[in-house]
Amino acid sequence: MFLEVKNLHKEFGGVVANAGISFGLEKGEIVGLIGPNGAGKTTLFNCIAGYYKPTSGKVLFKDKDITGWPAHRTSRAGIGRTFQIMRMLERLTVEENVMVGAFCRINDREEARRDAQEILELVNLKEEANAHPTELPIATQKRIELARALAIEPELLTLDEIAAGLNPLETIQIIDTLRRIHKEKNLTLLLTEHVMEFIMRISERIIVMAAGRKIAEGSPEEVAGKEEVIKAYLGERYAKGK
Amino acid sequence: MALAAQIMASGILMGSIFALVALGLTLIFGVMNIVNFAHGEFLMIGMYSVFLISTFLSIEPLVSLPLAAAVGFLLGIISYYLLIRYLLRGPMMAQLFGTFGLMLFLRYLVMFILGPSPRVIQEGVLIGKTVSLSWFTFDMSKLAAAGFSILLFVLVSWMIERTKLGRALRATSIDAEAAGYMGIDTEKMNALAWGIGGATAGIAGGLLANFYYVTPTIGMLFVMIAFATVALGGFGSVRGAFIAGLIVGLIMMVAGQYLSQIKLAFVYLAYFLVVVLRPRGLFGW
Amino acid sequence: MVGKMKAVIGVLRDTFSFNDLSLSERIAFAAFLVFVLFFPWIVHASYPRAVMIRFLLFAMYGLGWNLIGGYGGQVDLGQAKNVGFGAFATALMITWWGVPFWVSVPVGIIVAVAESFAVAYPMFRLRGHYFAIATLCVTLVWQQLFLFWDWTGGARGVELPIKSTPNFTYMQFGAIGYHYFIFALFMAEFLFMNWFRKSKMSYQLQAVRDNEDAAASLGINVTWTKVKAYLITAAMGAVGGSFYVAYHLYIDPRSVMQLDLSILIAMTAMVGGAGSIWGPILGAAILIPLDMYLAALLGGMGFYGIDFMIYALIIMVIAAREPRGIWGIIERARRRGYVLRG
Repeated sequence: MFLEVKNLHKEFGGVVANAGISFGLEKGEIVGLIGPNGAGKTTLFNCIAGYYKPTSGKVLFKDKDITGWPAHRTSRAGIGRTFQIMRMLERLTVEENVMVGAFCRINDREEARRDAQEILELVNLKEEANAHPTELPIATQKRIELARALAIEPELLTLDEIAAGLNPLETIQIIDTLRRIHKEKNLTLLLTEHVMEFIMRISERIIVMAAGRKIAEGSPEEVAGKEEVIKAYLGERYAKGK
Repeated sequence: MALAAQIMASGILMGSIFALVALGLTLIFGVMNIVNFAHGEFLMIGMYSVFLISTFLSIEPLVSLPLAAAVGFLLGIISYYLLIRYLLRGPMMAQLFGTFGLMLFLRYLVMFILGPSPRVIQEGVLIGKTVSLSWFTFDMSKLAAAGFSILLFVLVSWMIERTKLGRALRATSIDAEAAGYMGIDTEKMNALAWGIGGATAGIAGGLLANFYYVTPTIGMLFVMIAFATVALGGFGSVRGAFIAGLIVGLIMMVAGQYLSQIKLAFVYLAYFLVVVLRPRGLFGW
Repeated sequence: MVGKMKAVIGVLRDTFSFNDLSLSERIAFAAFLVFVLFFPWIVHASYPRAVMIRFLLFAMYGLGWNLIGGYGGQVDLGQAKNVGFGAFATALMITWWGVPFWVSVPVGIIVAVAESFAVAYPMFRLRGHYFAIATLCVTLVWQQLFLFWDWTGGARGVELPIKSTPNFTYMQFGAIGYHYFIFALFMAEFLFMNWFRKSKMSYQLQAVRDNEDAAASLGINVTWTKVKAYLITAAMGAVGGSFYVAYHLYIDPRSVMQLDLSILIAMTAMVGGAGSIWGPILGAAILIPLDMYLAALLGGMGFYGIDFMIYALIIMVIAAREPRGIWGIIERARRRGYVLRG
């Protein structure tokens, strides 16, 4: 198992955000995590990546126990991430943003710059290299975050709602980009998303969460038809109707 | 034993004054998350107001307190509309420097107009008189200052808890955007917070002027003590400011008894320890 | 072996190369250097010379502060303690043991760095104004202690023995000598900052400044990065303090460890433009002559405080309108040109 989450539990002073979540990823998979708002998806991501410490449970990455490791350690270990609310390094240029990522593994500035330029090329951002992220549209900023995360040479990439706010054309473009980098960089992808056309199309496997628990798992088609899933999104009536 | 009791009592007296100074600071922070470095200068201007009126118009300093309050209130509101309003839109560093600039400006404005030498109020109902109750001997001015502080605290607390205006202020503290949606004019709330902050600082200054020397640079000292107090009590908490004020007053008096030259160091150290060990302070959010 | 050589060449290249800056910047800086270099030969009056020395000193202070404050984005209002540590180390070592100046400088640096390390971890658990106030408190505590301690001279301070100039052991000179002394120190720190701003640490530090979570996601240990920057700034402040003593030949806790100095250092860098290499120089170039000429003019007339009032106005306007300082205004104008042309 490439990534294994065992019985993850996360509480915030009495409010249970994640309850007993367990699942696994194999190397090279593209797995989507869906669920209605408040299901605990971002909390789960934060627990895996190290922004929160799980209350109990384990996270294993490449057979190493990384439970409770701080964010900078999990990043260095090979887990990259993008954020739901974008976190641009505003005073740096696009190229410099990506260079910061490259500096994770590289010490020399020119090497980091070459690395960054390669990655910018990969995500079609070569032209915007000297612009500042805040001058660019949201869809472009998402690609910057992606490029930056790629620069640390991750093996697992966790993407938090990367398609949010994109129009249908941009959504198709980002699926394309993700598929490309998945192949070229040999990545494992774990995505969370609300935009159904996006996540159902790109994922090989889907995990469904609701109210802090895992309620279903399977291929996109399997999961779409499951009663629990429909119930979680639309309520009992529609579930029964199906 | 009597000495210990005297020290404690003096500590509580001074403490209630510190609490008053801290009150304005904590209010402003609660409502809009900005630390007013110029708070000590509001206090200083309150001191000067009372000093000038009592000396040049021969009016009893106590009676001119409402004027100190009014001056402080106006100062707060003007500061808000001319400067703070713009700072709120900027990064935190800019806010910090902005209120710092205000502090320097007010301090040196007063120094420019009135000169740097310390002044003392010579005549007044409270000046130089002491009161004795069983073991304790107090300066009347300090006693009155403490009394007024407590009164003001009760007044402001009542206003915040019971009046519609107070509720609007609290709503703005909790979530300015949501308060805006509910029809509360957050700009006015912000300005009001600054006005009240300035007023309480002005009154505290006016009270202090009865027994402290009045100089343009006195603001820095009190604002640092106020920071320690607010941090201890919890940024944003009115109740916290009061209790923390008493504690800081006690620390100062006790330290002053044994290590008077570095008693301030204890206060600063207290701030440091509190924010590192318990950032929320006693009652803060 | 080859790798090491390449690394050294790389460091030298980064230190002395200004190629990544625009032509106008390079020309302006060159003109500035020439001006400062020949200044004592052009201007003979003692007051302007003193102003120039003070300008260079504050530009140097600002360069040091700029590391944690500008590139790091952490508002440190306690730099005066580091200046004080350097100053007292030099003053005490010279007066007690007759130690040469350049031996006392590393000692001052070690003291400043050690103390900063001790307080850094607890302090960096704080953010924003809590952090700023904490830095104020630490400086105030040290000032109180130095005033209280007799062995460091207490409130009386320390007076240095006056030697016949020029004296290279204790770095005492006439006005021209001091000018080149501070100029040399300034250039050393400037070249260091020129290297620093292109270094990996600078990128990581700026990432921490702009967004800590993003920085962590890129493998950066946020706290340790801040601590490193804080330590370097402390060292640079201590060097300034050592110069201060060699120049004034007298220090006391009130003048050298005071809050106003901390604030002035931070302000100068911020007004000029925190986070850029030119900022501290621009800020000092504006505020120091303003202070010294206005103060002289108006102080002579009996008006105290107008210089600070003007400072304060400048600070407030900059804070409200362009927090990136004067350099920020210049950059914005340039970018507008770039965007329009591009």
